[in-house]
Amino acid sequence: MEELDLLKKDWKKNENSFQQISEVDIYKMIHKKSSSIVKLILIISILEMVLWAGISMFYNSDDYLIKTHNEYLIDYFKYITIFNYVVVIAFILMFYKNYRAISTITSTKQLMKDILKTRKTVKWYVWYNLAMIAVSMVIGFVLVFSLDPRIHQLTSKHNALLIMIAFCTICIVVIVGVFWLFYRLLYGILLRKLYKNYNELKKIDL
Amino acid sequence: MSENLEQSFVQQLRQNQNIIHKICRLYTSDEDAHKDLFQEITIQLWKAFPKFRGDAKFSTWAYRVALNTAITLYRKSTRSVSTVDYEKHSFFISQEEYNSEEEEQLKLMYKAVHQLNDIEKALIFMYLEDKDYTEIAETLGISEVNARVKMNRIKGKLKKILNP
Repeated sequence: MEELDLLKKDWKKNENSFQQISEVDIYKMIHKKSSSIVKLILIISILEMVLWAGISMFYNSDDYLIKTHNEYLIDYFKYITIFNYVVVIAFILMFYKNYRAISTITSTKQLMKDILKTRKTVKWYVWYNLAMIAVSMVIGFVLVFSLDPRIHQLTSKHNALLIMIAFCTICIVVIVGVFWLFYRLLYGILLRKLYKNYNELKKIDL
Repeated sequence: MSENLEQSFVQQLRQNQNIIHKICRLYTSDEDAHKDLFQEITIQLWKAFPKFRGDAKFSTWAYRVALNTAITLYRKSTRSVSTVDYEKHSFFISQEEYNSEEEEQLKLMYKAVHQLNDIEKALIFMYLEDKDYTEIAETLGISEVNARVKMNRIKGKLKKILNP
């Protein structure tokens, strides 16, 4: 292609036409903070993990169980909490391992894969938490319905039980839906370019 | 990190900075974005420098990190690019040495290259830098055969942009 040869000639000829950056300026640059996408994903991921850990830490059902004279359930909840912590720690370790594997020296495709992998870990972590919330909401509602005498009285009348169940289902769906939308937006904006380029690279090797 | 390491890095980067400038020229459209990307590439190079062993050339190593940063890590600023900035920034055709027809062709060519997507730009960049297909394929993480095929398609695409 003739034009491309012409371009190459011009490209080579102008190789040294850039305004040179001094060593002092390079020193300054390497002490500045990166604003790369990896950094952003790291910050957001840590915030997410702290937020979810925080929520589960402050959520305490013991008082309610004591109040309703169902102390025997406290032990079950303790096991669930321990299980939860083990899972969370596993997620954090996995995330850290994936994050450490990100390297700009590998090929472009591998780099993209590695970044998406860290994202996936956090995504699963968020879904795990959402599932836990949904499950605990269901358990919570069931407990309240079956254990709380006041609700018992209320639901024995008319169609109250059905209405309550419908209400609870809507609550769960709305909460999960809002989170889903939030994540779609957040990471959609953040990763749009990455996904586009990754798909482009994948297409070449099809 | 030790001061020696820092000094050695800064020196080598200063000597090889044109590699980064060239990538910035291809991937950005105005002065500010050029500086921005240059800085991000410098930070990424510095972060990766402790893993850099002397067995490869600094420039070869820098190509990869710089391209990876431009394609994958760098977030473009959302500011819209004005054509004036773009023209001022991208072209450096010296008037004396080309006839006006060639000059016009070059301008169109630079414009066409700027219309390519990030991956296509990377291939064109390495082509302009006389990299062989083995290196192009390794850098991007695709097969050599497919790198060739893609390069031919890009040439076709450029032709189409130039002669619609």
